Amino acid sequence: MNGKEHRHTLEIRNLAVRKGGVEVLSGIDADLRCGEVTALVGPNGAGKTTLLLAILGQVPYTGEIRFCRAAEHGEGAPKIGYVPQHLPLDPDAPVTVLDFFALSSQRRPVFLGASRRTRESARQSLERAGVGHLLHRPMGRLSGGELQRVLFALALRDAPDILLLDEPVSGVDVAGEELFCDFLSQVQRNSRFSLLLVSHDLSVVTRHADQVICLNRRLVCSGATTEVLTPENLAAMYGTDAHLFRHAPADGHGHLHEEGGK
Amino acid sequence: METTLSFVFALMDRLLPFSFAEPSFMKRAILSILLTAPAAAALGVPLVQHRMAFFSDAVGHSAFTGVALGVLLGVSPSWTMVAFGAFVAVAIILVKGRTDLSSDTVVGVFFSTVVALGIAVISREKGLTRNLQAFLYGDPLAVSDTELLWMAGVFLLVCAFLALLYNRILLLGIHEGFARTKGVRAQAVEISFALVVALVVTAAIRAVGILLVTALLVIPAATARNVARGAASALWISVAVAVLSGFSGIVASWYLDTATGATVVLAAAACFALTALYRAAVKRR
Repeated sequence: MNGKEHRHTLEIRNLAVRKGGVEVLSGIDADLRCGEVTALVGPNGAGKTTLLLAILGQVPYTGEIRFCRAAEHGEGAPKIGYVPQHLPLDPDAPVTVLDFFALSSQRRPVFLGASRRTRESARQSLERAGVGHLLHRPMGRLSGGELQRVLFALALRDAPDILLLDEPVSGVDVAGEELFCDFLSQVQRNSRFSLLLVSHDLSVVTRHADQVICLNRRLVCSGATTEVLTPENLAAMYGTDAHLFRHAPADGHGHLHEEGGK
Repeated sequence: METTLSFVFALMDRLLPFSFAEPSFMKRAILSILLTAPAAAALGVPLVQHRMAFFSDAVGHSAFTGVALGVLLGVSPSWTMVAFGAFVAVAIILVKGRTDLSSDTVVGVFFSTVVALGIAVISREKGLTRNLQAFLYGDPLAVSDTELLWMAGVFLLVCAFLALLYNRILLLGIHEGFARTKGVRAQAVEISFALVVALVVTAAIRAVGILLVTALLVIPAATARNVARGAASALWISVAVAVLSGFSGIVASWYLDTATGATVVLAAAACFALTALYRAAVKRR
Protein backbone atom coordinates (compact mmCIF):
# COMPACT_ATOMS: atom_id res chain seq x y z
CA MET A 1 0.00 0.00 0.00
CA ASN A 2 2.97 2.28 -0.56
CA GLY A 3 2.46 5.65 -2.17
CA LYS A 4 -1.13 5.96 -0.96
CA GLU A 5 -2.07 8.77 1.29
CA HIS A 6 -3.28 7.28 4.50
CA ARG A 7 -6.28 9.39 5.25
CA HIS A 8 -8.61 8.14 7.89
CA THR A 9 -12.10 7.08 6.95
CA LEU A 10 -13.11 6.24 10.49
CA GLU A 11 -11.83 7.37 13.86
CA ILE A 12 -12.86 5.69 17.08
CA ARG A 13 -12.10 7.52 20.33
CA ASN A 14 -12.54 6.20 23.85
CA LEU A 15 -15.38 3.92 22.84
CA ALA A 16 -17.17 1.88 25.48
CA VAL A 17 -20.17 -0.44 25.23
CA ARG A 18 -22.15 -1.80 28.16
CA LYS A 19 -24.51 -4.73 27.90
CA GLY A 20 -26.78 -5.60 30.80
CA GLY A 21 -24.60 -3.62 33.22
CA VAL A 22 -21.40 -5.35 32.08
CA GLU A 23 -18.71 -3.43 30.26
CA VAL A 24 -18.08 -5.46 27.08
CA LEU A 25 -15.78 -2.89 25.52
CA SER A 26 -13.94 0.03 27.02
CA GLY A 27 -11.27 2.54 26.12
CA ILE A 28 -11.15 1.66 22.43
CA ASP A 29 -9.15 4.00 20.20
CA ALA A 30 -8.65 3.00 16.59
CA ASP A 31 -8.49 4.38 13.05
CA LEU A 32 -9.44 2.88 9.75
CA ARG A 33 -7.46 4.19 6.83
CA CYS A 34 -8.45 4.69 3.26
CA GLY A 35 -7.63 1.83 0.94
CA GLU A 36 -6.39 -0.44 3.69
CA VAL A 37 -7.44 -3.71 5.22
CA THR A 38 -7.66 -3.58 8.98
CA ALA A 39 -8.05 -6.84 10.87
CA LEU A 40 -9.85 -7.08 14.17
CA VAL A 41 -8.51 -10.01 16.17
CA GLY A 42 -9.14 -11.32 19.64
CA PRO A 43 -10.43 -14.39 21.47
CA ASN A 44 -14.09 -15.41 21.69
CA GLY A 45 -16.10 -12.91 23.65
CA ALA A 46 -13.51 -10.17 23.14
CA GLY A 47 -16.18 -7.84 21.76
CA LYS A 48 -15.22 -7.97 18.08
CA THR A 49 -18.76 -8.27 16.77
CA THR A 50 -19.91 -5.70 19.33
CA LEU A 51 -17.40 -3.22 17.92
CA LEU A 52 -18.79 -3.82 14.41
CA LEU A 53 -22.33 -3.29 15.69
CA ALA A 54 -21.26 -0.06 17.39
CA ILE A 55 -19.78 1.19 14.11
CA LEU A 56 -23.08 0.26 12.43
CA GLY A 57 -24.95 2.17 15.12
CA GLN A 58 -26.84 -0.94 16.24
CA VAL A 59 -25.72 -0.96 19.87
CA PRO A 60 -25.63 2.08 22.16
CA TYR A 61 -22.12 3.22 23.08
CA THR A 62 -20.26 6.03 24.78
CA GLY A 63 -17.24 7.73 23.26
CA GLU A 64 -16.91 8.81 19.68
CA ILE A 65 -17.08 7.20 16.26
CA ARG A 66 -16.25 9.76 13.59
CA PHE A 67 -16.64 9.11 9.91
CA CYS A 68 -14.32 11.11 7.72
CA ARG A 69 -14.81 11.54 4.02
CA ALA A 70 -11.90 11.43 1.65
CA ALA A 71 -12.27 14.03 -1.12
CA GLU A 72 -12.75 11.45 -3.86
CA HIS A 73 -15.68 9.88 -2.03
CA GLY A 74 -17.80 13.00 -2.37
CA GLU A 75 -20.12 14.56 0.14
CA GLY A 76 -22.45 13.11 2.70
CA ALA A 77 -22.22 10.26 5.16
CA PRO A 78 -20.05 7.35 4.04
CA LYS A 79 -21.77 4.16 2.96
CA ILE A 80 -21.07 1.22 5.20
CA GLY A 81 -21.35 -2.30 3.86
CA TYR A 82 -21.78 -5.20 6.24
CA VAL A 83 -21.29 -8.90 5.71
CA PRO A 84 -22.70 -10.84 8.64
CA GLN A 85 -21.08 -13.96 10.06
CA HIS A 86 -23.82 -16.19 8.72
CA LEU A 87 -27.42 -16.09 7.58
CA PRO A 88 -29.62 -18.35 9.65
CA LEU A 89 -31.64 -19.52 6.64
CA ASP A 90 -33.07 -23.01 6.54
CA PRO A 91 -32.38 -24.98 3.33
CA ASP A 92 -36.03 -24.79 2.28
CA ALA A 93 -36.44 -21.04 2.65
CA PRO A 94 -37.93 -19.87 -0.66
CA VAL A 95 -35.38 -17.10 -1.19
CA THR A 96 -33.04 -17.25 -4.17
CA VAL A 97 -29.81 -15.29 -4.52
CA LEU A 98 -31.60 -12.95 -6.94
CA ASP A 99 -34.44 -12.50 -4.44
CA PHE A 100 -31.90 -11.56 -1.81
CA PHE A 101 -30.40 -8.89 -4.07
CA ALA A 102 -33.90 -7.62 -4.87
CA LEU A 103 -35.02 -7.57 -1.23
CA SER A 104 -32.14 -5.39 -0.20
CA SER A 105 -32.32 -2.88 -3.00
CA GLN A 106 -35.49 -2.51 -5.02
CA ARG A 107 -38.67 -0.69 -4.09
CA ARG A 108 -40.95 -2.96 -6.10
CA PRO A 109 -42.21 -5.79 -3.88
CA VAL A 110 -40.26 -8.91 -4.70
CA PHE A 111 -43.42 -10.95 -5.39
CA LEU A 112 -43.90 -8.82 -8.52
CA GLY A 113 -40.48 -9.94 -9.73
CA ALA A 114 -36.99 -8.50 -9.77
CA SER A 115 -36.59 -5.25 -11.68
CA ARG A 116 -34.40 -5.21 -14.76
CA ARG A 117 -31.88 -3.04 -12.89
CA THR A 118 -31.69 -5.43 -9.94
CA ARG A 119 -31.29 -8.39 -12.26
CA GLU A 120 -28.52 -6.72 -14.23
CA SER A 121 -26.56 -5.45 -11.23
CA ALA A 122 -26.92 -8.78 -9.41
CA ARG A 123 -25.59 -10.68 -12.42
CA GLN A 124 -22.67 -8.30 -12.81
CA SER A 125 -21.58 -8.28 -9.21
CA LEU A 126 -21.95 -12.06 -8.87
CA GLU A 127 -19.83 -12.56 -11.98
CA ARG A 128 -17.24 -10.21 -10.57
CA ALA A 129 -17.12 -12.49 -7.54
CA GLY A 130 -16.85 -15.54 -9.79
CA VAL A 131 -20.24 -16.94 -8.78
CA GLY A 132 -22.50 -15.80 -11.62
CA HIS A 133 -23.99 -19.30 -11.83
CA LEU A 134 -25.58 -18.94 -8.39
CA LEU A 135 -28.13 -16.26 -9.42
CA HIS A 136 -31.17 -18.53 -9.23
CA ARG A 137 -30.03 -20.85 -6.46
CA PRO A 138 -31.87 -20.90 -3.11
CA MET A 139 -29.87 -18.99 -0.48
CA GLY A 140 -30.32 -21.75 2.10
CA ARG A 141 -28.64 -24.33 -0.11
CA LEU A 142 -25.37 -22.47 -0.72
CA SER A 143 -22.17 -23.84 0.76
CA GLY A 144 -20.31 -21.69 3.28
CA GLY A 145 -17.91 -20.42 0.65
CA GLU A 146 -20.65 -19.70 -1.90
CA LEU A 147 -22.68 -17.81 0.68
CA GLN A 148 -19.71 -15.65 1.64
CA ARG A 149 -19.05 -14.77 -1.97
CA VAL A 150 -22.69 -13.91 -2.59
CA LEU A 151 -22.78 -11.71 0.50
CA PHE A 152 -19.53 -10.11 -0.54
CA ALA A 153 -20.81 -9.50 -4.06
CA LEU A 154 -23.93 -7.88 -2.63
CA ALA A 155 -21.91 -5.66 -0.30
CA LEU A 156 -19.66 -4.55 -3.15
CA ARG A 157 -22.55 -3.84 -5.51
CA ASP A 158 -23.51 -0.94 -3.28
CA ALA A 159 -19.95 0.49 -3.54
CA PRO A 160 -19.36 1.04 0.18
CA ASP A 161 -16.75 3.41 1.56
CA ILE A 162 -16.26 1.15 4.54
CA LEU A 163 -16.87 -2.59 4.43
CA LEU A 164 -17.25 -4.58 7.62
CA LEU A 165 -16.70 -8.32 7.34
CA ASP A 166 -17.60 -10.50 10.28
CA GLU A 167 -15.48 -13.68 10.17
CA PRO A 168 -15.42 -13.85 6.38
CA VAL A 169 -13.78 -17.28 6.26
CA SER A 170 -15.60 -19.08 9.02
CA GLY A 171 -17.25 -22.23 7.77
CA VAL A 172 -15.33 -22.15 4.52
CA ASP A 173 -13.19 -25.02 3.25
CA VAL A 174 -9.50 -24.45 2.56
CA ALA A 175 -9.89 -24.09 -1.21
CA GLY A 176 -12.78 -21.69 -0.71
CA GLU A 177 -10.71 -19.69 1.71
CA GLU A 178 -7.87 -19.31 -0.80
CA LEU A 179 -10.29 -18.13 -3.50
CA PHE A 180 -11.93 -15.81 -1.07
CA CYS A 181 -8.65 -14.20 -0.05
CA ASP A 182 -7.52 -13.80 -3.64
CA PHE A 183 -10.80 -12.14 -4.39
CA LEU A 184 -10.39 -9.91 -1.39
CA SER A 185 -7.02 -8.55 -2.39
CA GLN A 186 -8.15 -8.22 -6.00
CA VAL A 187 -11.10 -6.08 -4.98
CA GLN A 188 -8.86 -4.15 -2.66
CA ARG A 189 -6.61 -3.21 -5.57
CA ASN A 190 -9.51 -2.19 -7.78
CA SER A 191 -11.62 0.01 -5.57
CA ARG A 192 -10.70 2.46 -2.90
CA PHE A 193 -12.43 1.71 0.30
CA SER A 194 -11.39 0.62 3.72
CA LEU A 195 -12.13 -2.78 4.98
CA LEU A 196 -12.52 -3.95 8.55
CA LEU A 197 -12.27 -7.68 8.91
CA VAL A 198 -13.02 -9.73 12.01
CA SER A 199 -10.99 -12.88 11.91
CA HIS A 200 -9.96 -15.80 14.04
CA ASP A 201 -7.50 -16.96 11.47
CA LEU A 202 -4.13 -15.30 11.91
CA SER A 203 -2.88 -16.69 8.60
CA VAL A 204 -5.55 -14.64 6.83
CA VAL A 205 -4.62 -11.63 8.91
CA THR A 206 -0.88 -11.83 8.26
CA ARG A 207 -1.40 -12.25 4.53
CA HIS A 208 -4.08 -9.67 3.90
CA ALA A 209 -4.26 -7.03 6.60
CA ASP A 210 -2.25 -3.84 6.58
CA GLN A 211 -3.24 -2.88 10.09
CA VAL A 212 -4.31 -4.97 13.06
CA ILE A 213 -6.45 -4.07 16.03
CA CYS A 214 -6.08 -6.55 18.90
CA LEU A 215 -9.04 -6.62 21.19
CA ASN A 216 -9.88 -8.27 24.46
CA ARG A 217 -12.69 -6.17 25.93
CA ARG A 218 -10.21 -3.34 25.78
CA LEU A 219 -7.59 -2.39 23.25
CA VAL A 220 -4.58 -4.69 23.62
CA CYS A 221 -2.61 -3.08 20.83
CA SER A 222 -2.96 -1.80 17.29
CA GLY A 223 -0.68 -0.89 14.42
CA ALA A 224 0.95 -2.35 11.32
CA THR A 225 0.43 -6.11 11.06
CA THR A 226 4.11 -6.98 11.11
CA GLU A 227 4.76 -4.95 14.22
CA VAL A 228 1.70 -5.94 16.19
CA LEU A 229 1.48 -9.71 15.91
CA THR A 230 4.29 -10.43 18.36
CA PRO A 231 4.28 -13.34 20.82
CA GLU A 232 3.92 -10.88 23.72
CA ASN A 233 0.78 -9.31 22.31
CA LEU A 234 -0.72 -12.66 21.39
CA ALA A 235 -0.10 -13.85 24.93
CA ALA A 236 -1.80 -10.74 26.30
CA MET A 237 -4.84 -11.48 24.16
CA TYR A 238 -5.19 -15.24 24.21
CA GLY A 239 -3.29 -16.20 27.39
CA THR A 240 0.26 -17.44 27.84
CA ASP A 241 -0.34 -20.87 26.30
CA ALA A 242 -1.02 -19.48 22.86
CA HIS A 243 1.69 -19.66 20.25
CA LEU A 244 1.91 -18.52 16.70
CA PHE A 245 3.16 -21.66 15.06
CA ARG A 246 5.22 -21.48 11.95
CA HIS A 247 4.18 -24.31 9.67
CA ALA A 248 6.47 -25.72 7.01
CA PRO A 249 8.80 -22.98 5.71
CA ALA A 250 7.12 -22.92 2.32
CA ASP A 251 3.83 -22.22 4.02
CA GLY A 252 5.12 -18.96 5.40
CA HIS A 253 2.20 -18.03 7.57
CA GLY A 254 1.07 -18.87 11.03
CA HIS A 255 -1.98 -20.37 12.64
CA LEU A 256 -2.88 -19.68 16.18
CA HIS A 257 -3.24 -22.68 18.40
CA GLU A 258 -4.69 -22.49 21.85
CA GLU A 259 -3.20 -25.42 23.69
CA GLY A 260 -5.30 -27.37 26.14
CA GLY A 261 -5.12 -26.76 29.88
CA LYS A 262 -5.02 -23.23 31.17
CA MET B 1 -73.26 -0.30 1.24
CA GLU B 2 -76.43 -2.26 0.45
CA THR B 3 -76.12 -1.52 -3.26
CA THR B 4 -72.44 -2.51 -3.41
CA LEU B 5 -73.19 -5.85 -1.82
CA SER B 6 -76.27 -6.55 -3.97
CA PHE B 7 -74.14 -5.77 -7.04
CA VAL B 8 -71.48 -8.24 -5.84
CA PHE B 9 -74.16 -10.84 -5.12
CA ALA B 10 -75.66 -10.41 -8.60
CA LEU B 11 -72.19 -10.85 -10.06
CA MET B 12 -71.71 -14.02 -8.04
CA ASP B 13 -75.01 -15.39 -9.40
CA ARG B 14 -73.55 -15.00 -12.90
CA LEU B 15 -70.16 -16.48 -12.04
CA LEU B 16 -71.36 -19.32 -9.82
CA PRO B 17 -74.59 -20.71 -11.28
CA PHE B 18 -74.63 -23.63 -8.81
CA SER B 19 -77.20 -24.63 -6.25
CA PHE B 20 -74.80 -24.25 -3.32
CA ALA B 21 -74.17 -20.60 -4.22
CA GLU B 22 -77.85 -19.66 -4.39
CA PRO B 23 -78.65 -18.77 -0.76
CA SER B 24 -77.31 -15.35 0.24
CA PHE B 25 -75.73 -16.81 3.42
CA MET B 26 -73.60 -19.01 1.14
CA LYS B 27 -72.61 -16.00 -0.93
CA ARG B 28 -71.56 -14.22 2.26
CA ALA B 29 -69.63 -17.28 3.39
CA ILE B 30 -67.78 -17.53 0.07
CA LEU B 31 -66.97 -13.82 0.11
CA SER B 32 -65.80 -13.87 3.72
CA ILE B 33 -63.44 -16.77 3.07
CA LEU B 34 -62.17 -15.37 -0.24
CA LEU B 35 -61.40 -12.04 1.44
CA THR B 36 -59.72 -13.30 4.61
CA ALA B 37 -57.99 -16.54 3.55
CA PRO B 38 -55.78 -15.09 0.75
CA ALA B 39 -54.87 -12.07 2.90
CA ALA B 40 -53.89 -14.38 5.75
CA ALA B 41 -51.98 -16.67 3.38
CA ALA B 42 -49.98 -13.79 1.90
CA LEU B 43 -49.00 -12.53 5.36
CA GLY B 44 -48.22 -16.12 6.30
CA VAL B 45 -45.16 -16.20 4.03
CA PRO B 46 -43.15 -13.58 5.99
CA LEU B 47 -44.79 -14.83 9.21
CA VAL B 48 -43.32 -18.30 8.69
CA GLN B 49 -39.98 -16.75 7.73
CA HIS B 50 -40.02 -14.86 11.04
CA ARG B 51 -40.98 -18.08 12.91
CA MET B 52 -44.03 -16.29 14.28
CA ALA B 53 -46.68 -19.01 13.93
CA PHE B 54 -47.02 -19.19 17.71
CA PHE B 55 -47.37 -15.39 17.79
CA SER B 56 -50.40 -15.47 15.49
CA ASP B 57 -51.90 -18.23 17.63
CA ALA B 58 -51.51 -16.04 20.73
CA VAL B 59 -53.15 -13.10 18.96
CA GLY B 60 -55.97 -15.42 17.86
CA HIS B 61 -56.56 -16.60 21.40
CA SER B 62 -56.49 -13.04 22.69
CA ALA B 63 -59.72 -12.60 20.72
CA PHE B 64 -61.37 -14.87 23.26
CA THR B 65 -60.52 -12.35 25.98
CA GLY B 66 -61.38 -9.41 23.71
CA VAL B 67 -64.89 -10.80 23.20
CA ALA B 68 -65.34 -11.45 26.91
CA LEU B 69 -64.22 -7.91 27.75
CA GLY B 70 -66.64 -6.49 25.18
CA VAL B 71 -69.58 -8.31 26.71
CA LEU B 72 -68.46 -7.30 30.20
CA LEU B 73 -68.15 -3.61 29.23
CA GLY B 74 -71.31 -3.63 27.14
CA VAL B 75 -69.43 -2.75 23.93
CA SER B 76 -69.76 -4.66 20.66
CA PRO B 77 -67.47 -7.71 21.10
CA SER B 78 -66.43 -7.54 17.44
CA TRP B 79 -64.65 -4.25 18.12
CA THR B 80 -63.13 -5.10 21.49
CA MET B 81 -61.81 -8.30 19.89
CA VAL B 82 -59.97 -6.30 17.19
CA ALA B 83 -58.70 -3.69 19.65
CA PHE B 84 -57.53 -6.22 22.21
CA GLY B 85 -55.87 -8.37 19.52
CA ALA B 86 -53.94 -5.36 18.23
CA PHE B 87 -52.95 -4.43 21.78
CA VAL B 88 -51.63 -7.92 22.54
CA ALA B 89 -49.75 -8.09 19.23
CA VAL B 90 -47.93 -4.80 19.81
CA ALA B 91 -47.30 -5.62 23.49
CA ILE B 92 -45.61 -8.91 22.55
CA ILE B 93 -43.33 -7.18 20.01
CA LEU B 94 -42.38 -4.43 22.47
CA VAL B 95 -41.63 -6.83 25.33
CA LYS B 96 -39.75 -9.21 23.03
CA GLY B 97 -37.43 -6.38 21.94
CA ARG B 98 -36.59 -5.49 25.53
CA THR B 99 -35.71 -8.83 27.09
CA ASP B 100 -33.15 -11.53 26.48
CA LEU B 101 -35.86 -14.21 26.64
CA SER B 102 -36.51 -16.16 23.46
CA SER B 103 -39.53 -14.96 21.52
CA ASP B 104 -41.54 -18.17 22.01
CA THR B 105 -41.13 -17.77 25.78
CA VAL B 106 -42.45 -14.21 25.65
CA VAL B 107 -45.35 -15.29 23.42
CA GLY B 108 -46.06 -18.21 25.76
CA VAL B 109 -46.33 -15.89 28.76
CA PHE B 110 -48.73 -13.57 26.91
CA PHE B 111 -50.72 -16.47 25.49
CA SER B 112 -51.51 -18.00 28.88
CA THR B 113 -52.05 -14.64 30.55
CA VAL B 114 -54.68 -13.44 28.08
CA VAL B 115 -56.48 -16.79 28.02
CA ALA B 116 -56.51 -16.86 31.84
CA LEU B 117 -57.92 -13.34 31.87
CA GLY B 118 -60.61 -14.39 29.40
CA ILE B 119 -61.58 -17.43 31.45
CA ALA B 120 -61.67 -15.34 34.63
CA VAL B 121 -64.03 -12.82 33.02
CA ILE B 122 -66.27 -15.51 31.53
CA SER B 123 -66.53 -17.46 34.79
CA ARG B 124 -67.82 -14.30 36.49
CA GLU B 125 -70.40 -13.51 33.81
CA LYS B 126 -72.70 -16.48 33.50
CA GLY B 127 -74.40 -16.85 30.16
CA LEU B 128 -71.41 -15.53 28.26
CA THR B 129 -70.46 -18.92 26.86
CA ARG B 130 -73.25 -18.77 24.29
CA ASN B 131 -71.73 -15.59 22.86
CA LEU B 132 -68.32 -17.15 22.68
CA GLN B 133 -69.37 -20.23 20.76
CA ALA B 134 -69.55 -18.26 17.48
CA PHE B 135 -66.03 -16.93 18.01
CA LEU B 136 -64.43 -20.18 19.15
CA TYR B 137 -65.56 -22.24 16.16
CA GLY B 138 -66.37 -19.45 13.72
CA ASP B 139 -69.26 -19.49 11.30
CA PRO B 140 -68.89 -17.95 7.86
CA LEU B 141 -72.56 -18.70 7.22
CA ALA B 142 -73.51 -16.12 9.87
CA VAL B 143 -71.27 -13.27 8.70
CA SER B 144 -73.12 -9.94 8.58
CA ASP B 145 -72.90 -7.28 5.85
CA THR B 146 -70.94 -4.96 8.15
CA GLU B 147 -68.47 -7.72 8.87
CA LEU B 148 -68.09 -8.40 5.15
CA LEU B 149 -67.24 -4.77 4.50
CA TRP B 150 -64.75 -4.82 7.38
CA MET B 151 -63.13 -7.92 5.84
CA ALA B 152 -62.91 -6.13 2.49
CA GLY B 153 -61.26 -3.17 4.22
CA VAL B 154 -58.71 -5.44 5.92
CA PHE B 155 -58.08 -7.17 2.58
CA LEU B 156 -57.22 -3.83 0.94
CA LEU B 157 -55.04 -2.86 3.88
CA VAL B 158 -53.07 -6.10 3.55
CA CYS B 159 -52.56 -5.43 -0.18
CA ALA B 160 -51.23 -1.95 0.59
CA PHE B 161 -49.02 -3.26 3.40
CA LEU B 162 -47.52 -5.96 1.19
CA ALA B 163 -46.90 -3.52 -1.66
CA LEU B 164 -45.07 -1.08 0.62
CA LEU B 165 -43.29 -3.24 3.16
CA TYR B 166 -43.01 -6.81 1.86
CA ASN B 167 -39.32 -6.54 0.93
CA ARG B 168 -38.39 -5.01 4.25
CA ILE B 169 -40.36 -7.44 6.40
CA LEU B 170 -38.90 -10.43 4.55
CA LEU B 171 -35.33 -9.10 4.74
CA LEU B 172 -35.84 -8.50 8.45
CA GLY B 173 -36.91 -12.12 8.80
CA ILE B 174 -33.70 -13.28 7.15
CA HIS B 175 -31.16 -11.25 9.16
CA GLU B 176 -32.05 -8.33 11.40
CA GLY B 177 -28.58 -6.79 11.60
CA PHE B 178 -28.13 -6.98 7.85
CA ALA B 179 -31.61 -5.56 7.22
CA ARG B 180 -30.79 -2.60 9.46
CA THR B 181 -27.70 -1.77 7.41
CA LYS B 182 -30.00 -1.66 4.39
CA GLY B 183 -32.02 1.05 6.10
CA VAL B 184 -34.84 -1.12 7.45
CA ARG B 185 -36.26 0.42 10.62
CA ALA B 186 -36.65 -2.87 12.38
CA GLN B 187 -39.03 -2.04 15.19
CA ALA B 188 -41.36 0.17 13.13
CA VAL B 189 -41.63 -2.52 10.46
CA GLU B 190 -42.13 -5.27 13.01
CA ILE B 191 -44.86 -3.39 14.88
CA SER B 192 -46.77 -2.56 11.71
CA PHE B 193 -46.50 -6.20 10.64
CA ALA B 194 -47.82 -7.34 14.02
CA LEU B 195 -50.74 -4.92 13.72
CA VAL B 196 -51.69 -6.10 10.24
CA VAL B 197 -51.46 -9.73 11.39
CA ALA B 198 -53.74 -8.87 14.33
CA LEU B 199 -56.29 -7.27 12.00
CA VAL B 200 -56.31 -10.26 9.64
CA VAL B 201 -56.47 -12.77 12.48
CA THR B 202 -59.41 -11.01 14.14
CA ALA B 203 -61.21 -10.60 10.81
CA ALA B 204 -60.73 -14.26 9.91
CA ILE B 205 -61.97 -15.46 13.30
CA ARG B 206 -65.56 -14.81 12.20
CA ALA B 207 -65.00 -17.29 9.39
CA VAL B 208 -62.93 -20.09 10.91
CA GLY B 209 -62.89 -19.41 14.64
CA ILE B 210 -60.24 -18.78 17.27
CA LEU B 211 -59.13 -22.41 17.38
CA LEU B 212 -58.34 -22.62 13.67
CA VAL B 213 -57.38 -19.12 12.63
CA THR B 214 -53.62 -19.74 12.73
CA ALA B 215 -54.12 -22.45 10.12
CA LEU B 216 -55.11 -19.81 7.54
CA LEU B 217 -51.75 -18.08 8.01
CA VAL B 218 -49.47 -21.06 8.43
CA ILE B 219 -50.75 -23.93 6.26
CA PRO B 220 -50.78 -22.14 2.85
CA ALA B 221 -47.34 -20.64 3.53
CA ALA B 222 -45.99 -24.03 4.63
CA THR B 223 -47.49 -25.59 1.49
CA ALA B 224 -45.76 -22.95 -0.63
CA ARG B 225 -42.45 -23.82 1.03
CA ASN B 226 -42.81 -27.39 -0.17
CA VAL B 227 -42.83 -26.36 -3.81
CA ALA B 228 -41.74 -22.74 -4.27
CA ARG B 229 -38.22 -21.97 -5.43
CA GLY B 230 -38.24 -18.21 -4.97
CA ALA B 231 -39.83 -15.43 -2.97
CA ALA B 232 -42.30 -14.49 -5.72
CA SER B 233 -43.67 -17.98 -6.33
CA ALA B 234 -43.87 -18.58 -2.55
CA LEU B 235 -46.35 -15.76 -2.12
CA TRP B 236 -48.47 -16.60 -5.16
CA ILE B 237 -48.60 -20.32 -4.36
CA SER B 238 -49.62 -19.51 -0.80
CA VAL B 239 -52.45 -17.25 -2.04
CA ALA B 240 -53.53 -19.83 -4.62
CA VAL B 241 -53.69 -22.55 -1.95
CA ALA B 242 -55.84 -20.25 0.19
CA VAL B 243 -58.29 -19.51 -2.64
CA LEU B 244 -58.46 -23.13 -3.75
CA SER B 245 -58.89 -24.63 -0.28
CA GLY B 246 -61.24 -21.82 0.77
CA PHE B 247 -63.58 -22.35 -2.14
CA SER B 248 -63.43 -26.14 -2.20
CA GLY B 249 -63.81 -26.25 1.59
CA ILE B 250 -67.04 -24.24 1.47
CA VAL B 251 -68.48 -26.36 -1.34
CA ALA B 252 -67.48 -29.58 0.42
CA SER B 253 -69.05 -28.41 3.68
CA TRP B 254 -72.31 -27.72 1.81
CA TYR B 255 -72.51 -31.25 0.50
CA LEU B 256 -71.00 -33.04 3.51
CA ASP B 257 -72.92 -30.92 6.03
CA THR B 258 -69.75 -30.23 8.07
CA ALA B 259 -68.55 -27.07 9.83
CA THR B 260 -67.43 -24.67 7.11
CA GLY B 261 -64.31 -23.23 8.76
CA ALA B 262 -63.00 -26.65 9.72
CA THR B 263 -63.63 -28.04 6.22
CA VAL B 264 -61.67 -25.14 4.69
CA VAL B 265 -58.72 -25.84 7.00
CA LEU B 266 -58.88 -29.55 6.17
CA ALA B 267 -58.77 -28.72 2.46
CA ALA B 268 -55.66 -26.60 3.05
CA ALA B 269 -54.10 -29.41 5.08
CA ALA B 270 -54.76 -31.76 2.15
CA CYS B 271 -52.86 -29.35 -0.13
CA PHE B 272 -49.98 -29.40 2.35
CA ALA B 273 -49.94 -33.20 2.49
CA LEU B 274 -49.97 -33.52 -1.30
CA THR B 275 -47.12 -31.05 -1.79
CA ALA B 276 -45.12 -32.67 1.02
CA LEU B 277 -45.44 -36.04 -0.73
CA TYR B 278 -44.45 -34.46 -4.04
CA ARG B 279 -41.40 -32.92 -2.40
CA ALA B 280 -40.35 -36.19 -0.81
CA ALA B 281 -40.68 -37.91 -4.19
CA VAL B 282 -38.60 -35.24 -5.95
CA LYS B 283 -35.93 -35.37 -3.25
CA ARG B 284 -35.54 -39.12 -3.46
CA ARG B 285 -34.99 -39.01 -7.20
